[in-house]
Parts: sequence; structure tokens; C-alpha cells
Amino acid sequence: MTEIKTNKLFSPFKEISIAPLIIFRIIFGVLMFLGTVRFISKGWVQQLYIDPSYYFGYLGFEWVKPLEGQLMYIPFILLLISALCIIVGLFYRASALTFSLCFTYIELLDKSNYLNHYYFVSLMALIMLFLPANRNFSFDAKIWPKIKSITTKQWTVSLIKFQLAMVYIFAGIAKVNSDWLIQANPLKIWLQAHHNIPLVGSLMQEDWLAYTFSWAGCIYDLFIVFFLLSNRCRPIAYLFVVFFHLATWYLFPIGVFPWVMIFSTLIFFSAQFHERVLDFFSRKTWRENPVKPKRLSSLRKKQTRYLLTLYIIIQLLLPFRYVLYPGDLFWNEEGFRFSWRVMLMHKEGHATFYMVDPKTGRESEINNSKFLTRTQEDQMATQPDMILQYAQILKNYHHGKTFHYGDQKITVENPEIRAKIYVSLNGRPAQLFVDKKHDLTKLNYNLYHRTWLEPFKK
Amino acid sequence: MQLNQRLLQNIKTMNFKRTNAIYLSLALLLLLSFSCKDPDEIKPAFNKGTLLTNVANTIIAPAFNDFESDLSSLEASFIALKTSPNQANLDAVKADWKAAYIQWQLVKIFDFGPLRDNGFKGATGTYPTDSNQVNSNILNGGYNLGSIDNTDAIGFSALDFLLYRTNALADFSSNPNYTQYASDLIQKMKTEFALVNGQWINYKPTFIAATGTETTSAFSLLVNEFNRDYELTKNAKLGIPIGVQSLGIQLPEYIEARNSGISLELLQESMRALRIVYLGNNPNSGQGFYDYLVHLERSTLAVEIDTKFSQIINNIEAFNGTLEEEMGSNVNGLEELYYLIQEQVVNIKTDMTSAFGVLITYQDNDGD
Repeated sequence: MTEIKTNKLFSPFKEISIAPLIIFRIIFGVLMFLGTVRFISKGWVQQLYIDPSYYFGYLGFEWVKPLEGQLMYIPFILLLISALCIIVGLFYRASALTFSLCFTYIELLDKSNYLNHYYFVSLMALIMLFLPANRNFSFDAKIWPKIKSITTKQWTVSLIKFQLAMVYIFAGIAKVNSDWLIQANPLKIWLQAHHNIPLVGSLMQEDWLAYTFSWAGCIYDLFIVFFLLSNRCRPIAYLFVVFFHLATWYLFPIGVFPWVMIFSTLIFFSAQFHERVLDFFSRKTWRENPVKPKRLSSLRKKQTRYLLTLYIIIQLLLPFRYVLYPGDLFWNEEGFRFSWRVMLMHKEGHATFYMVDPKTGRESEINNSKFLTRTQEDQMATQPDMILQYAQILKNYHHGKTFHYGDQKITVENPEIRAKIYVSLNGRPAQLFVDKKHDLTKLNYNLYHRTWLEPFKK
Repeated sequence: MQLNQRLLQNIKTMNFKRTNAIYLSLALLLLLSFSCKDPDEIKPAFNKGTLLTNVANTIIAPAFNDFESDLSSLEASFIALKTSPNQANLDAVKADWKAAYIQWQLVKIFDFGPLRDNGFKGATGTYPTDSNQVNSNILNGGYNLGSIDNTDAIGFSALDFLLYRTNALADFSSNPNYTQYASDLIQKMKTEFALVNGQWINYKPTFIAATGTETTSAFSLLVNEFNRDYELTKNAKLGIPIGVQSLGIQLPEYIEARNSGISLELLQESMRALRIVYLGNNPNSGQGFYDYLVHLERSTLAVEIDTKFSQIINNIEAFNGTLEEEMGSNVNGLEELYYLIQEQVVNIKTDMTSAFGVLITYQDNDGD
């Protein structure tokens, strides 16, 4: 951020080198392309978006439904095509729009598959849509030489840095809790499971290692961005980034996320660094024949300023919304998602659901595997909003159905759905999470505090 | 963009405070690592590799070999019955069928590797039998036992139907198609399991070496299949017949081995088998899940699971009649048994699994 030193105030519309933005565009495209190839080749399109009979939509987005059968591959193919177009900078805005829409559409389908890194990609794709990342080293700049530029507005690069900073700092803040720091859990549980790895396996069972990793991880997340921003510390800080994410990649099943972070954080490197990379790959042609930067009208500046401020405020406040809820955050999961709580807890649950015929008082235990996939059942058992959604699925399925058992025939109308759910949090013995006394169909799915969950006993 | 300004100011101050911050955090880490380590605390040695080796060598391999020879005995006694169909020979077949079926309760837990790849569990242990399908196969001949249509017309359950009918001996004496069908069922199990057991020898080193935490690792498979078998046992062997999933209305047609009436024995044997795996061996010697829990300082849970297994096994012992008879006379007793079995699910599926740090999900996971 050498630019700042010459200028007292941070000016979002100052012209800076476009090189970091160009490199970021290519990195983003490549990672998204590979991530999508990986997703498809693992059979997850079929497994997650074709096989299930029911889906757990997000509040207010339940209308987002998967496409019929194999058609569900279409958005994934569009992701591949648009990612390729983003890499080479061809029809960039249309490609970024396609990518953003398809990716977010897929993520909205089923919250069973929610991952913070998918949320990160959704946000990044949205941001990319507004950045002029095709104005150099791209087919677009070849086709329309009038857009070729060697500079960009400062906010474009800063926004990416801001988003990365949010991920790290909030992940760090989330780790400041007694389970993580005082009990070293869930890391103690996760690390000991690796006691068979070569050389360091025996260390994995040591408590001090779990404490070291917990504290180091927390400190790393909280402060790494500040070290990355400092010119003096950046090279060493980046080594930490690489080491940290490679370690998590080795130890935990977190897919492409480590790679996304390792490569995305290159944005913190100086403009000169990125320029040299471009020089190398384009034989310096990227510097030739740029157009002069356009001066923005004060109205455009104002609009941009407002939009940016709005986005930043939302990003800063959203992770803190949990303070509006009483009770334990990890237990109740009210305000848990979209808050960069990454690799933070180990929750395991067992849910037994009952369908009660109100006329006869007879009840049936539900075989969850008849309705949900294993992943869905696993996620549902510990997440209160999904429990309510599942109760509705069960109610709708049984309502008005006539069941023939032996020579008996029972027609069920407006069944009650009850559940007995036990949850174990961060290795504690399982506790009652949901009591059978509640008819879950009578409870509304909304953002209010959920009083029907059993209180958490530490 | 005021926020960014503040961010930048922070960075500048960070530069000055950096060294202090590093020293402080290092000191904190050191302090923690010393204060939290209790020098007197000695954990019993534990290694997942040892557990897998023990399970493979002292449980799976002998169980598979025993099962293979049980099926050979069944084949031999059936040939004797075919040559001279009389009551004594039929009783011998029944005894061998039952011995193999009992042994199957242990074998079926290990539904991964060759057993899974060959689809052996479904082909052997599916019930109830579709007697119409069996009868039509016998009548029409030309059946393909491997086809999906015949999933409910093969395995132990179909033999239960064929061997224990009132006029079974008459049919074995006079109806060659009937005899041929039973013979084909036995042959199918025997040949297929010989294949499974042969492949197991090659798979064993892979199994023992796969100590990781990914869902495809042998340890995860073992934990997951252990849980799956437990739940299947609970539901299929007891819950469904007594009406747990059908508004409390009993479904005797879903009773396992209904004709022979050995369903409660099979349930008990299944629980015994699960306990053997849990403890790591028959005489409670080798390393099993129990030992891993003790190592993780979860002795209370470790003992509780074992005690519950004993309770369940003893509780089943107390029933005198067959499951069908007890469903008529002792509904409460069966319900109590069911709840007892159900209580264990939370112990093994939630507490034990989370203590092990085994992941159930197949996809990427960031812990939320």
C-alpha cells in the first residue's frame, strides 16, 4: 500500500495499478474452474442436487428449487464455461454475472451443504461482477481496445482485501471462546484422530499440541491480515499463510478452501509484484496502448461510495447478529451462518422423529433415511431451523395419507410431528436438544429466538 | 471508506507493536503448554492401527472362515437331504442353516471392502421373503437369482421359508424344482462368499493401514458400519415387527426367520456380535472401541456402553417364546426391550463417534 503514503486520506477513486486485479481475476477463475471440475467428478451433483427427495431452503428463499434430474448439471456446466471466460477475460461482465448467479443459485438450494467457503465464493463472485477486471490481459481488451487500461480505482483492489480481511478477522474473533481457548476443543478431538500419521503422529495425542494449535490458529486469524498489509512483514506473513493452510488441508477435509486462501491472499502483495508477473507472461505488452483513465462524475462517485459503505456495514454487522439472541450460540445456532465461523465446533446429533395421529393418539417412529440423505440427516439433527423444516416435510408427507397395516386402515389428518434429539457438542456427553413434548408443526420457522430448545448445560 | 482508514492506521501501529505482540503470544503459549500438562497423567497406549489389526485378525478373519465352513457344512448336509430325503437329514440341514445364520450376525457388520463390493449383505440377509416370488420361481424355473426382482427371494430368509414349511419334507421328496431352488440358494451364498473371503485376504493389508480420518478410511468405515448395523438390528429385527414404525400396529409378516421362530436368538446374537466388535474380541482381550474410549479418558462412557450391551443381551434371554408368540402375550416386555436398545444409539452414534473424531459426512466440511 505504498500509494497511501503519498496521500494522507484513503481515496477510493485514486488510480492505482490494475495488475493485482488482473492477477486476481485469473486466480479466481482458475480456482473456480478446478473447484467445479472437482465437485462434478466426485459425483456430488448427483449426490447433493439430484438424489435427495427434499431440500432445505434458506428462510425467504424456499422457492429456489433444483432443476429436474440431469438438468441440474446445466448450472455446473455454465459455471465451468463462465469460469473459463473469466480466466481469459472474454465477455467478462456476462461471464461474471453467469458465474455469480449459477453459484449462488446452487448454494441457495440446500443449507445442508452450507460451507463458509461457498459463502465466500458467492460474495467474491458478486464483487467481481462490479470490478473492471477485464480491462487488461484479456480477450475483451483485444476486441475492444478502448477499455484497455493499466490502472484501476483504488477501491476495486481494496474491496477484495477487505473481504479477505473479514474472513480472517471474524474467524479469529469466533475462536475467542472458552471451548476453543481453555478446553482446546474441538481441536483436541480432531487432532488425536490423526495419531497414526507418520513421524508426528504421537504428538497428535498431546494436549499441549491442541492448545498450541488452538491459540496459534486464533492469533493467526486475528492478526495475519495486518501483517500481510505491512510491506516489511508481508513475505514472512505469506509463509505463515502457506504453512497454515497447507496444515489445515492436510489435517481436515476442507477441500479447495486452503488453496483459495493461499492464492487469494496474493492480492496483498505490492503492485510491482503483480506487474512483474504480468510483464513475464505478456512480455510487457500489457503496458502498451492503454486508454487514459476516465474521470468519474461526482454522481457516480457518490453512488459507488454509498454502495461500498452499505456493503461494508452489512459485512461488519452480519457476524455480530448473534448478540441479539440469548443462550449459547453453538448450541442454539441462532446467527451462526454467514459469520466466518470456520472449523469451530464438533457437533454430533441423533434425532428420532415421531408422527402422531391426533385422532387415535397412535404414533410411528420415522425412518429418517426414507426422507433424507445421510448428509442431510446429519446436518438436520443438530440445526434447529432444519429440524423445523424437516417436521414440515414429514407433516406434508403424512397428512391425508391412508396407511394399511395388516387388516387395519388408518387415515392420518394433520399429524403432530415430535422429536427426541440428543446432541453432543465439542466432545461433551450428549444432552437432550429437543424434547418430545413439542409438536414441531405448531412452531414457526422465523428469526425469533427459539424457546423450544432445551438449555445447554456446559 | 473511513473504515479502511482506520484499518490502515491500525496497521501502522501494528508495526511498532509487532515485536511486543509476538513476545506476548509466545509467552502465553509457553505458559499454557506447561500449565495444562499434568505430568502424572499417563494415558494407556493406544493406536488405531493396532485396533484395526486386532479386529481384522482376531474377529473378521476367523468370522469369515467360520462362516465359509458353515456354508460348506450346509451345502454338504443339503446334498445328503437331496440323496435321501428324510426327517433326520432335514433336521441336519436346519441345524446347519441355523449355525450359519447365527454366524452371519457377526459377518454382516463388516459391510465394506469385498463384502460391500460384491453386494453380499443384501443378497444374504434381506427379509422378509416374498413367498409369492419364491413360489413362482420354483414353478416357472429359469430364474436369475442375481436379478433385482429376486432380492426378496434369496438368502437365509428364503431358506427359512423353504425349510420350515409344514410340508417341506414332502416337497423335498417329490418336487425336484423345490429341491433345486433351495440348493441354488445355498450354492449362491457359498460361491459368493468364497469369493468375498478370498478377496478379503488381499484387502486386509489395505484395511489395517487405513487409519486416517477421511470417510473412506477403514477406521471410519468400521465405526460407521458398526452404527449402521446397530440401527438396522434395532429397527428390522425388533422395531418394525412390533409396530414401532406403523402407528403401533404389529406387523408379524416382517418378522425375521418367522417360520423357524429363531428371530429373538438372531437379535441376541446380533447384539453379542456388536459387543464383540466393541470390546475388540471375544474374551475382552484385544483393542476395540472400548479401549479407544478409555484412552480418550471417556471410561464412564466406555463402561456404560458395555453395561448396556450386557443388559440388552440378558433382557432377550428372559423371553421364552418366539418373537411372534411374545408379540401376542408380552407387548410391554418387547417395548421395554426396544427402548433399552434405543438408549444405546445415543451412546454409540453420538457420544462414541464424536469422541473418536470420525466424520460421517462424505463432502467437504468446515466444521459447522
